[in-house]
Amino acid sequence: MFVLPPPPPRYTIPVAYAAGAANGMAVPVVETNNTISHPDGGCPLQVGEGTYTLKDDLLLATPPPHPSEAPIINPNPLATPPTFLKGAVSAPQFGDGNPALAQPAPPAKDALKRRKPKNNIIKSSSSFVSRVITHETSAKRLSDRDPNGTFAFANINRAFQWLDITSASKEEHLTKVLFTKAHMLCHDINELTKTSSHLDIVMGSSAGDIIWYEPLSQKYARINKNGVINNSPVTHIKWLPGSENLFMASHANGVLVVYDKEKEDALFTAENTGIPERDPSQYPLEILKSVNSRNQKTNPISSWKLASQKISHFSFSPDQRHLAIVMEDGSLRLMDYLKEEVLDIFRSYYGGLICSCWSPDGKYIVTGGQDDLVTIWSFPERKIVARCQGHNSWVSSVAFDPWRCDQKTYRFGSVGDDCRLLLWDFSVGMLHRPRAHHQNSTRQRTSVVAPSSQSIRHRADSWGNRMRSDSERTENTYDDVEPLTSHPVEPRSRTALLPPIMSKVVGEDPICWLGFQKDCIMTSSLEGHIRTWNRPNDSVVKS
Amino acid sequence: MMGIFNRGNRNNGAPNAPSPTPPNPKKDLQTPQISPLEKRLQDMGSIREDGSDKFFGMENYGNTCYCNSILQCLYYSVPFREAVINYPQRTPVESIEAALAKNLRYQNPNAHLEAEALAAKQKAAAPSSRQAGVPPNQPQKPEDKDSPEYKKKVALQTLPILETKNNASSYGMSESLFTSLKDIFESLVGSQSRIGIIRPQQFLDVLRREHEMFRTAMHQDAHEFLNLLLNEVVSNVEAEATKQSFAEKTLPSASADSLGITGSPGSKSPNTTRWVHELFEGTLTSETKCLTCEKVSQRDEVFLDLSVDLEQHSSVTSCLRKFSAEEMLCERNKFHCDNCGGLQEAEKRMKIKRLPRVLALHLKRFKYTEDLQRLQKLFHRVVYPYHLRLFNTTDDAEDPDRLYELYAVVVHIGGGPYHGHYVAIIKTEDRGWLLFDDELVEPVDKNYVRNFFGDRPGLACAYVLFYQETTLEAVLREQANEDRASSAAAAEASAQVNGSLTHVHSVPVDDSHRPIPLSKITTAPGQMPVHLEVPEADPMPPLQPVQPPEVPPLPPIPNEQPPSLSPKKSDAQIRKEKVREEKEQRAAQKAAEKAAEKAAKDERENKEKMERIQRRELDQQRQAQMKQEAADLERALKASKESSKAETADIGPENGSPRDSSRFSIFRRSSRSLSSSLSNRLSKDKEPRVSTSTAETTPAPVLEVPAQEEERVRPPVPAKDASDLSSSYKSTFTQPFPPAVPEKHDPYFNHSNTHLPPLSTSPTAKHISHVNHLNSPNGNGNGNSNGGSNGSTDKSGVGHTHRWRSFSFKKSAAS
Repeated sequence: MFVLPPPPPRYTIPVAYAAGAANGMAVPVVETNNTISHPDGGCPLQVGEGTYTLKDDLLLATPPPHPSEAPIINPNPLATPPTFLKGAVSAPQFGDGNPALAQPAPPAKDALKRRKPKNNIIKSSSSFVSRVITHETSAKRLSDRDPNGTFAFANINRAFQWLDITSASKEEHLTKVLFTKAHMLCHDINELTKTSSHLDIVMGSSAGDIIWYEPLSQKYARINKNGVINNSPVTHIKWLPGSENLFMASHANGVLVVYDKEKEDALFTAENTGIPERDPSQYPLEILKSVNSRNQKTNPISSWKLASQKISHFSFSPDQRHLAIVMEDGSLRLMDYLKEEVLDIFRSYYGGLICSCWSPDGKYIVTGGQDDLVTIWSFPERKIVARCQGHNSWVSSVAFDPWRCDQKTYRFGSVGDDCRLLLWDFSVGMLHRPRAHHQNSTRQRTSVVAPSSQSIRHRADSWGNRMRSDSERTENTYDDVEPLTSHPVEPRSRTALLPPIMSKVVGEDPICWLGFQKDCIMTSSLEGHIRTWNRPNDSVVKS
Repeated sequence: MMGIFNRGNRNNGAPNAPSPTPPNPKKDLQTPQISPLEKRLQDMGSIREDGSDKFFGMENYGNTCYCNSILQCLYYSVPFREAVINYPQRTPVESIEAALAKNLRYQNPNAHLEAEALAAKQKAAAPSSRQAGVPPNQPQKPEDKDSPEYKKKVALQTLPILETKNNASSYGMSESLFTSLKDIFESLVGSQSRIGIIRPQQFLDVLRREHEMFRTAMHQDAHEFLNLLLNEVVSNVEAEATKQSFAEKTLPSASADSLGITGSPGSKSPNTTRWVHELFEGTLTSETKCLTCEKVSQRDEVFLDLSVDLEQHSSVTSCLRKFSAEEMLCERNKFHCDNCGGLQEAEKRMKIKRLPRVLALHLKRFKYTEDLQRLQKLFHRVVYPYHLRLFNTTDDAEDPDRLYELYAVVVHIGGGPYHGHYVAIIKTEDRGWLLFDDELVEPVDKNYVRNFFGDRPGLACAYVLFYQETTLEAVLREQANEDRASSAAAAEASAQVNGSLTHVHSVPVDDSHRPIPLSKITTAPGQMPVHLEVPEADPMPPLQPVQPPEVPPLPPIPNEQPPSLSPKKSDAQIRKEKVREEKEQRAAQKAAEKAAEKAAKDERENKEKMERIQRRELDQQRQAQMKQEAADLERALKASKESSKAETADIGPENGSPRDSSRFSIFRRSSRSLSSSLSNRLSKDKEPRVSTSTAETTPAPVLEVPAQEEERVRPPVPAKDASDLSSSYKSTFTQPFPPAVPEKHDPYFNHSNTHLPPLSTSPTAKHISHVNHLNSPNGNGNGNSNGGSNGSTDKSGVGHTHRWRSFSFKKSAAS
C-alpha cells in the first residue's frame, strides 16, 4: 500500500461564489473597496471598423457575508441594464381603456416634482437593509459632477452600489446598500422620470420582495412586501416603457406581474380561477389577474402565469407593444402584452434560454441560451433566422449595438459563461443555408448555398401596413381561439449558421452582462469586473 | 416532478399540507417519522411489475460507492433495466418471489429508536467498521440527525434489507457479472417493498473474483467501472449466446422485438445479444483529409461512452465540439496518405456517425500534472444542460438532431482521484430527481442537479453524465404536467400567508424551479463531504427557514408543522373583505363604464381581429413555404442518396451499411481490417478518448505490433483479456508511488492532454504517443502513420482504458 499523497491544492475559489465560509477559508470581515485597474496591453477587440481598446477594469468589491447568515450564492450578482432614450413611439399605455387604471391628472405646478418613496433608507429599521454606506464626499461629488455624466447601478452579492462612472474616481461608490436575507438580483431605472434630482429605481430580490429606491433622496419603499403577491425570486425587472409608475417583474415560478409603485400591496388571489384544465400548448398564458380587472386599488395591476418554469429574462419591443420572454424550459414566447396574449412560442435548440434582446427596429429578436447558441428570430416573419455559433458555454447576455445598426446590417454582441465577448454582424442578404444534406459529404467540399432569405426583404415593415390589408374574414368563427403558433425546432440542416466577427476572452470569470454605449462597450462579470472598451475613433455613426 | 409530488400531497391531505389543525394523525410517537423519500412515494398505488417504483439504497462495503452509483444509474435507464430483466428470458414473478422470500428481510421500523442509545455506546467503543473510508476520528454527535452518516445508519437499521443470491442457473447461464447484475435487478423488480437497502455482496464477489484490481478496498474510478461493466455484460451475453448457438439451441428472444434492431447478415451472434450495443453504442467516424491530394479517408469505430477533455468555464456542448474539432496532422505527425503514397500534412476530425440511445459522457476531471507527478482533479466549471443535442455529427448521420435528456449524474466528491466518494443523482420515471448516496435515497429538487458544475464548494463535481434519447413532444408533455401540477399547488398554496419574516427567506412552497434555492445550496453539497478527509460539521444554514413540508430539500425536515399558522384565519377574512369590496366597486362602476367600454371594446376587437387574421395568414404562408422547402429538401436528399449509393458501391462493402458488423464478423474478416486497424490505432490521436478501445493502457511494456497480433489470434473473450490485464495491474498496483501512480492509473494518465516527455522511471504504455511517432515514420507501411499526434497538439488528449480492443475495432474501413 502506498501512502496517499496529500490532496492537490484546490483551485482558488472566487469569493463571489461565496465559497469561503463553506470551505472553512478565512472570510474577510471588513468592508472591501472597489478597485480599478488598467491592464497592460489591454484587451483590444479588433473588428472591421477599428479596434476597441480596454479603457479600464473596475472591480466591485464583493461584500463579506452578513454575520448572521450563510453566504448566499447570487445567480446574477450584477445587472446594470444600459439606458437608451428612445425616439417618440406612440403606443397605448398598458391598461389603457381600463378606467380603474386611469391616472388622476397631476397638478400642473408639480409636473417636474416627482413623488418620492416614503422611508429613509439610511435610518431604515428594515430587516432587509443591513447597512447603507454613503461616501464621505458624495454630496460634493454629486454637486460637482458633470450633469451629462453617467450613473451606474450594480448589484453584487448582497451589495447594491451606486457609481458615477464618468467621474475621475469612478471606483468610489456614491452609496452602497448592503442587504441581508434577500439579495437584489435585478434592477431597472425609469427612463421617463429620470431627472438630475430624481431617479426611480426598482430592484427585485431573491425573496421576491421589490424595493423602489430613490438614490438622490435616499428614500425607499417596499412592494410585494414579504412576498405577499408572489414569493418567488424576481429574475428580471423592467419599467413598462412609457410608464411613470408601472413596472413588470418576472418571478422564478413563471409568473409575470405588473406592479404600480404607488399602490399598496394586498394579499393576492388569482381572480380568474374557474378556468378548466387547459392544454398549455393551446393556452400558454393563465391570466391570474387581468389588467382589465376592475379591482385596481392595490397591487398587482396584472399577473400572468406562463409556466411553472423560471422566466429567465424578458424584453420590451421598441414599439412598446410586444414582449419577448425567454424561459428556463427553452421557450421564447412573444406576447402582445397590451392585449395579454401570447402570439408565438419558439423553442431553443435545446436547454433553457437565458437572455433576449430586440433589434432597434423591432424586426428581430436575439436570444442566448444553454445550447451555447445565439439565435436570431424574425418577429414579422415568425421564424428562426439563424443560429450563431461561437460560444463555448452558456450565453448569459445579448445586446444590439444601436450605433452600428442600419436598415440592412445589424451589429450585436453576446457574452457568456465562457468569459468571452463575441460580436456579430448580420445582414439579411448575407445569410446562407448551412451545408445541405448530402450523403457523401467528405467528397464534396463546396457546400450548397441556398439563399433562404429572399422573403426577409418583404417584411411587414410597418404596423400600418398590416392594418390595411384585407379583412374579409372578420367573421371568422375562430375568433376566440388564440392566434398562437407553437413553432417546432428547426433541424440544424435547415438553419443558417452565423459565425462571429470577433471573439475574445475578456476575463477569468463568467461574464453576465453586456451593454453598448455611444462611446464604449461595457461588460460586467460574475465576480464584479466592469470592463469598458472605448470605441475606435470616428467610428460611431450617429443613428 | 415536483408537481407529482405536490399532487401527492394534495391527495394525502392533512399530514403534509400546513393546516390549522396542528395534531398530525401520523405523528404518533410509536410510528417513526416519515422520510422524505416515503413522502414522495405516497400515493404510488400497487407495486408495478417493471421495477420503476423501487427505490433502494445500496450497502457500501467500504469504498464501493463507485459500484453503487453506477449500478443505480443503470437500473434507472428504463431500456437497460428491461433488457437485463428480459435477457435471456424474464424470470417468472413467482420464482423471483420465492427467492425473495428468503432474501428480503424486514426490520423493525423502530429499531433505530432503540438502537440509538446503543449506537452512542457503540460509537464510543469502536468507530463504525463499515465505512472504511471514513476517518475514525471524525467527531459525530449522535444527535446530528441531518448528517448522511446518521441517516444511512438509520436506514440500515430500519429499512428492509434485500440480499441477492446467485440465481444464474435459472437463467440457463453460468455465473458471471451479468447474471449477478440481473440478480440485483430482478430482486429489486420482484421486491414487495418499494424502499429498502440492497446488498450487492454477491455482485461484488463476482467482480472481485474476476477482476483483481477491484479486490482491494481502495477507491476506484466510477467511469472505469462503468466501462468494464458494460463490456463484461456484452461479453457475458455473447459468450453465452455462442455457447448456446453451438448447442443448436434457439434462444427465446423475448427482447428481440424491442431490442434486436439490427439484422446483421452473416453475424454469428443472435440479435438478442446486441442490446447493450443498441443502447450505449454509437459510431465515430474519423475523417482525414490529405492536404496534398485532398482525398478524404474515413474510418469508423464504435464507442460505448465518450470521454471528453475539459476546459475551464466551458459547457458539455463545447467539450463535445472540441472533441470533434479539426486538427492538423503535420510535422512529426504527418499522415501517410495511401493515395499520394507518403507522409503528408492532413486535416483530421472525429464525428459521430451513429448516435447512441444512451449517451454516457465521461468528463475527464482527473488529469496528470507533471509538476506534481500525479493525477490532479480539475475543478473546472463545466456546465451541463438538462437537454442536449450533438453538434458533432456527420452529415449522413441518422437523426442528427436527436434530443437527449439528462437522466443521471455520477458525482465525485473529493479533492483528488485516489480518494473521495461517489453519489448518483438520478431522474426517475415519475418521482422526480433522487439522490442515491449508498444506503441513502433522498428526493432532491431539480435544481440540485446544477450544484455540480465544479465551481461550488464541497469539492463535488459531475463526473459521468448519462443522457438518454427523448423527443421534444415528451419534453413538452413533461413540462405541461409540471405546469399543471404547480399551478394546482399554487392555487392550494395561495391560501397560505407569508406573514412572518422568516418565511420570506424560506423556500417557497410551490416553487420547484427556483434558480438556486438558497438554503439548499449551502446545505446540500456541503453535506456530503463528510466522507472526505476534511471532516466538516454539517453546515446547516444559521438561518433555518421555516420549511414548507412539500419541498424536500436535502436535509430532510422533520415532519413538523410550520410554526406560523395563525395569520391564516385573518387571511380568509381579508379575502372575504376583498371580495365584498370588489363587488361594491364593480356595481358602482358598472353603469358608468359600460358605455365607454363598449365603444372602446368594439374598436379594439376590430383591430385585434384584423391583426389576428394577418398573423394567421402570414403563418399560413410561412407554413406553405416550409412545406415547399421540405419537399425540395427531400427531393435533393433522394437524389444525393442515390448518387451516394452509387459511390459507396465503388468504395466497397466495408464503407457501406453502418450496422452490418458485429464483433464476430470483424474477426472473420480481420486480416485486413486488423492490420489497418493497427495503423489506425497507432495513428489514432483522438481515438483514445473513446474509452471502449483497448490496448493503450495495458501495462504491457510497449505498445506495438505483436500485441495486436496476439490480440487477433486470441479468442475474443474480453473477460480473459481483462483479467489478464487486472493481474498486471496488480503487479504495478502494489508498488510504492511515484512510479506506480501513473501506472496504476494509466487510464487517468492518458487523460492528460499534454504531451509527456518520456519519464525514465516507467517505460510503459503511457508513452504510447512516443512509441507511435517513433514507429510510424519507420514502418507500418500499410497504415496512415499519423500516429502520436498527441505529441504535438495539446488538445489531442489521450484517452481512456483501452482494454477491450475487440469492440473498438468492429469495423475499420479505410478507403
